[in-house]
Amino acid sequence: MTNTERKTSGFGINQIIPIVAAVMSIAFIWLGLNKYGFWHSAKGPMPGFFPVVISVAMLFASILAFVFSFKEEAPVFPVANWLVPLSVACIIGATFLIGLIPSVAVYVLVWLKAYEKCTWKTTLITFAAIMAVVIGCFVLWLGVPFPKGLIYNALFS
Amino acid sequence: MENIELLLQGFAVLFTFQNILATILGAVLGLIIGAMPGIGSLAGVALLLPLTYKFNPTTAIIMLGSLYYANMYGGAFSAILLNIPGDSPAVMTSLDGYPMATVKKRPGQALLTSNLSSFIGGLIGMIILTFTGPALANVGLKFGPAEMTALLLVAMTSIGWLVGENPTRGVLLTMFVIMLASMGMDTLSGSPRYDFGSIYLLGGIPFTPFVIGIVGFAQVIKLMEDRNIQTKAAAEKLTIRGSMITRHDFRRLLPPALRSGFLGTFVGVLPGAGATTAAFLGYATQKSFKSEEPLGTGAIEGIAACEAANNGAAAGAFAPLLALGIPGSGTGAVLLGGLMMWGLNPGPLLFVNEPDFAWGLIASLFLANLITLAIAWGVIPFLIKILSVPTKLLIPCITVVCIVGSYSTSNSMYGVLVMFLSGILGYVMQKSRYATPPVLLAFVLAPLLESNMRKAFIISRGSLNIFFAKPISLVLMIALFAILLFPVVRPALVKAGLIKIKEPKS
Amino acid sequence: MKKFLSLTALALVLGTVSPLFAEGAAESSSAAFAPSKDIEWIVTSSPGGGSDIYTRVITDIMTKGNLSGGQTFLVTNKTDGGGEVGRLMVSRVAAGKAADHTLLTFNSGDLMPMVKNTANRLENFTPLALMAVDKQLLFIGEMSKYKTFAEVIDAIKAGGNAVIAGSKGDDVATYELLIKELGFTENQLAFITNDATSAAITSILGGHVDLVLSKPAAADQYVAAGKLTPVLALSKTRFTGNLASAPRLSEIGNYKDVEYPVWRGIVGPKSMSPAAAKYWSDAFKAVSDSATWQKDYIGKYKLLADFMPYEAAKTFMAEFEAGYLKSIGK
Repeated sequence: MTNTERKTSGFGINQIIPIVAAVMSIAFIWLGLNKYGFWHSAKGPMPGFFPVVISVAMLFASILAFVFSFKEEAPVFPVANWLVPLSVACIIGATFLIGLIPSVAVYVLVWLKAYEKCTWKTTLITFAAIMAVVIGCFVLWLGVPFPKGLIYNALFS
Repeated sequence: MENIELLLQGFAVLFTFQNILATILGAVLGLIIGAMPGIGSLAGVALLLPLTYKFNPTTAIIMLGSLYYANMYGGAFSAILLNIPGDSPAVMTSLDGYPMATVKKRPGQALLTSNLSSFIGGLIGMIILTFTGPALANVGLKFGPAEMTALLLVAMTSIGWLVGENPTRGVLLTMFVIMLASMGMDTLSGSPRYDFGSIYLLGGIPFTPFVIGIVGFAQVIKLMEDRNIQTKAAAEKLTIRGSMITRHDFRRLLPPALRSGFLGTFVGVLPGAGATTAAFLGYATQKSFKSEEPLGTGAIEGIAACEAANNGAAAGAFAPLLALGIPGSGTGAVLLGGLMMWGLNPGPLLFVNEPDFAWGLIASLFLANLITLAIAWGVIPFLIKILSVPTKLLIPCITVVCIVGSYSTSNSMYGVLVMFLSGILGYVMQKSRYATPPVLLAFVLAPLLESNMRKAFIISRGSLNIFFAKPISLVLMIALFAILLFPVVRPALVKAGLIKIKEPKS
Repeated sequence: MKKFLSLTALALVLGTVSPLFAEGAAESSSAAFAPSKDIEWIVTSSPGGGSDIYTRVITDIMTKGNLSGGQTFLVTNKTDGGGEVGRLMVSRVAAGKAADHTLLTFNSGDLMPMVKNTANRLENFTPLALMAVDKQLLFIGEMSKYKTFAEVIDAIKAGGNAVIAGSKGDDVATYELLIKELGFTENQLAFITNDATSAAITSILGGHVDLVLSKPAAADQYVAAGKLTPVLALSKTRFTGNLASAPRLSEIGNYKDVEYPVWRGIVGPKSMSPAAAKYWSDAFKAVSDSATWQKDYIGKYKLLADFMPYEAAKTFMAEFEAGYLKSIGK
């Protein structure tokens, strides 16, 4: 499976992860030792003890991972995949305006019709099925109070 | 045997039309709730508690018990079919369940294995509960902070088995997650820790949305790559008969299920350890035994070990709950609240003052086990249909369920945000070949380990003696050192001829 | 003629307009508040827990007794940030209908972490009522090496030590008051904080600690079963029933009685109108007086009914907050 175009990392995610991890461990170690305390003569471990020990281990692991990372190939992140998190981000944003359930409903419809280019029949059937599950189970039965959004609150409160 | 008589009396209480109906209803609801990612048994029991208000106390309690119990069955469904565990105990089930359903194309068999193992594990738990309930609870009491620390250290070493091919990365991710778990309120000191000034982080990172994200949502993102692959005819054999397992399969699942059933029951009794810990320990134990196929590739033994353990733990948790009035977990606490609201007081006097109720409840668990198995079995063909839904339709649907489920855990968008971020994290990590299974165990076990360790040190005034002075703890510490030193000592033992090396198969 | 017409016109105009003014005056003096929409009740802990049960018992009694003007209660559990997010949200509800229809379950165990860990203070809320008060005791288990609290004190003075297990929040404050009164250090009489009293009781039943600090409700059945024995009443008066044998601190030695007020109350947002506050306060008084409350909650959970309407509750809670702030050095 020779693919001469595959990247062996110059500087990619394989390097970023260990670096971020190392930075985090240093932050945690610093906070742990200075703010939360390490060991108390009579009480034993303080709030900072365990996190500091773990952070030190993680620091070592991230240094090792960083060193090894140059030998490994960079992972491929297909662009299309990012559409899913992007949609969720939009849903979260839209929730503040129109509420969670409507946002989710809009998402399903838009995704199936505009992106996947399904027929109206498929779209509507899937839409009906998933909304039945969501509304039937979560809204009607379990009574979870979903956010209704600014617009609804402005109109009806 | 007095207990059997009492149990039979319990069955007499149980076998009224209304009570049986309540058991069935509880089982169905529990299955549905259990299968939904996001609603774990804690939220499920809490949300369904009001439904039981309409009935009289005995019926209500029976329904509640069967509901709690059926939850454990349901969690495996979405784990096996979609690789999205319905609740945290089901996480381990997905490790072998999902490959068996998709790669090995035996979804019906996977589901049936899970159901049967759950049944066996639960049955073992209940039998143990019946005969030794209060005594078992007392054994659990002996596990104080020092003993739990030792036990959890042993458990943590088994995480090593799960880190996969790249230990450095596995360790890195595990440590990272432990650090995430330490953010929030530190109970022992009463002060917040690593909250970076955020009011949300004062409560730490909530477990359920985190799990949904890092396992479930990450999975959905990854599914985008598969959406155009035509699902080959997994549609054959949609009948119940088509999902039957062979006699050979059954013989494979029986030993792990029996072993894990006992292990799970015992773990369920321990303070603080719950079904998730039990499932993990069951799976880790299975690693030391022979499995026909390697674990993690769709081995029946893997599914059997986890599911039996988590149902065993659900049953085992009733021992301290009923006999001592001590809830072993959050779900137990809700159950306890529900029981108390009905005027029943679990505790040392329960079996003395209200034997009818206590044994009726235990009897109902047996019945719930049986009924849930039957329903779960019958539902398999219907569930398999889910697999034949084109991936491209599944993606938005699962995304929606992840979002709605995460919101429901705390009635706030914070849960959704956590799910979103941990989903991206899980996806990036998986792609970069950082193994994710140890993550959930670390998130659950590490805080337990830390709090028990600190409590032990407070009791011993900062001295290490406590871990070696008490018998249970001493035994566990010896086991711990044995496990840690084994890789080092092994070459020497091989040389001395004490251990044979297996010839690798060509 | 013109003058007459314009005077008449003026009189007519004034005649039609004046009732509005009269209405306005009447409204501000005798406007009775009545709930006119769903009431949102926030509970900052998870379903099934103590505060949750407390809230649902109250809403139940109010709905059945028609104390909510026929409106429904929407009890919502908001547990983010250990409850701080929910409390902050309630404190910020804007004036008007929303504020008058928002309630928050608020206990001593909620106030303490709130002022300790955030900038939120009691002044951002409208106290509405105090419903019940609770106190604590120290217990020994079957395996404890000390049989009375006097023995504990003597042993510590002779150089030994003891460990108390308790729950977070109120128990910690009581413990600190206790060691201060006794003049011991944390090392001599240590405290292990658990997430819930049940975990503390587990540890003493297993013989891992010497004493457990608990409210009567949690310990009751263990005392009845003989597994726990009360050895110290953290109260100015002795308890009754099977807890009567526990002495107060002043009876054991030359100490003042130690008692830490543990209370359960209800508050509303700061911008709740006074009329609404009075309405809710009266409604809660009716709840407190009801037989159902006395039997199904106070009696069952062994609390002390100690109702305070909104003005008294405000003074009480404010004093409590000031005292606590001082004790943690803020």
